[in-house]
Amino acid sequence: MLDAPLAVIAELTHRCPLHCVYCSNPLELVTRKSELSTAEWENVFAQAAELGALHVHLTGGEPVAREDLAQLIRHAHACGLYTNLITSGVGLSEPRWNEFVAAGLDHVQLSFQDSREADANWIAGARSHVLKLEVAQIIRSSKVAFTVNVVVHRQNIQHLEEIIALAEGLQPERLEIAHVQYYGWARKNIGALLPSLRQVLESLEIIRAAQKRLSGKIRVDTVLPDYYARFPKACMGGWGRRQLLIDPCGRVLPCHSATVIPGLQFENVRDGSLEWIWRQSASFQKFRGYDWMPEPCRGCDRRSDDFGGCRCQAFMITGDAASTDPVCSLAPTHRLIEQQVFVNSLAGTSNQLEKSDFERQQIWAYRS
Amino acid sequence: MPLQSSSRPRLTIGCRAKSEGENWIVIFPEGVLRLQKTARAVLERCDGERTFEEIIKELQALYSASDPVKIRKDAEMFLERLRERRVVDF
Repeated sequence: MLDAPLAVIAELTHRCPLHCVYCSNPLELVTRKSELSTAEWENVFAQAAELGALHVHLTGGEPVAREDLAQLIRHAHACGLYTNLITSGVGLSEPRWNEFVAAGLDHVQLSFQDSREADANWIAGARSHVLKLEVAQIIRSSKVAFTVNVVVHRQNIQHLEEIIALAEGLQPERLEIAHVQYYGWARKNIGALLPSLRQVLESLEIIRAAQKRLSGKIRVDTVLPDYYARFPKACMGGWGRRQLLIDPCGRVLPCHSATVIPGLQFENVRDGSLEWIWRQSASFQKFRGYDWMPEPCRGCDRRSDDFGGCRCQAFMITGDAASTDPVCSLAPTHRLIEQQVFVNSLAGTSNQLEKSDFERQQIWAYRS
Repeated sequence: MPLQSSSRPRLTIGCRAKSEGENWIVIFPEGVLRLQKTARAVLERCDGERTFEEIIKELQALYSASDPVKIRKDAEMFLERLRERRVVDF
């Protein structure tokens, strides 16, 4: 029997004042005029709660760019959903924040790009760091659970200790240090972002030390770089198994980047019920369970731990979405990952941090 | 600071509990815990008012057939673990 989705990721808009070079949004962004209306989102939240979902992650783009965000939070909360706002903080004034709190917001995740202002702004492609620091103060003065999120990569990883110290000063309940995952804009910019093995190992040591030191005070969670793992991640907890994502125009996707896979047609909440899409639609059934699996996944003891890894990554790297995730050391195509890592260790872009704006080379494409 | 008799454990902000039949679900950022009988009995007493000592006394009365020393030890481990996950504060 198929379970209900535990969490619904609501990409309220693709509009964003930042241009982060590792953004997980698709390269082709949804325009404002095709976004779902307030009433359509409210309907989606009611259906999600009815279906048995517990969490709703309000994300984007920048969700604060939606003028109806307080109303959407209020509605999701009234439906009994645990509301999580994932924001860059840009555009979040104190009065607006107070509206969100009054609307029943449970948790907020605020992103930072680096510990130093010039470097953070360079990575975000926008002057945002100081604004974020102000927003962190506003958030902390209220009683809403607070996570600081920092994405780390080749360019900023040398500041990791400083980044952790910055986060500590902001007094969140939780700190998430996420290595870049190579989807969307991050995949386009992989040459400038993929860290070396040495950088990765050093970062893990720093994170472990922080976890120990901050235990009971700040929970430090980490997202590991799967290019360096022996086994793949259980992407989304398995295709169509734990979570679903609704993009700004209402398409229901099994994950952030599923639209890269050719030949899949994604249903829209404007055309069908969420329950039907979750249970019956072809796209959600395509890689659900174990029947689609090739060897070595099919006969592997780990198949119920990682579900064969990530379908999008399999497609982007091997050209076949139904192949074993190439990051798996058992995958027949694993050498493609090893090559990428090797090429990057030789020719990856040199570190541009702490250079002045004039000296910095254009090493990546900013998210549009 | 480790859990002490005088500690008053409570759910951390951002953690919400609700009933699901006999069980309890605790929802927190990025996660869910499903708690059955004894675990529920411990956590529903963590209201920030009762001390750990008072909670243990109540549990020992509730499960009078079980070893009282083991009840204390199990509850302590359980709460320490939840604190590491930032689900409980004390």
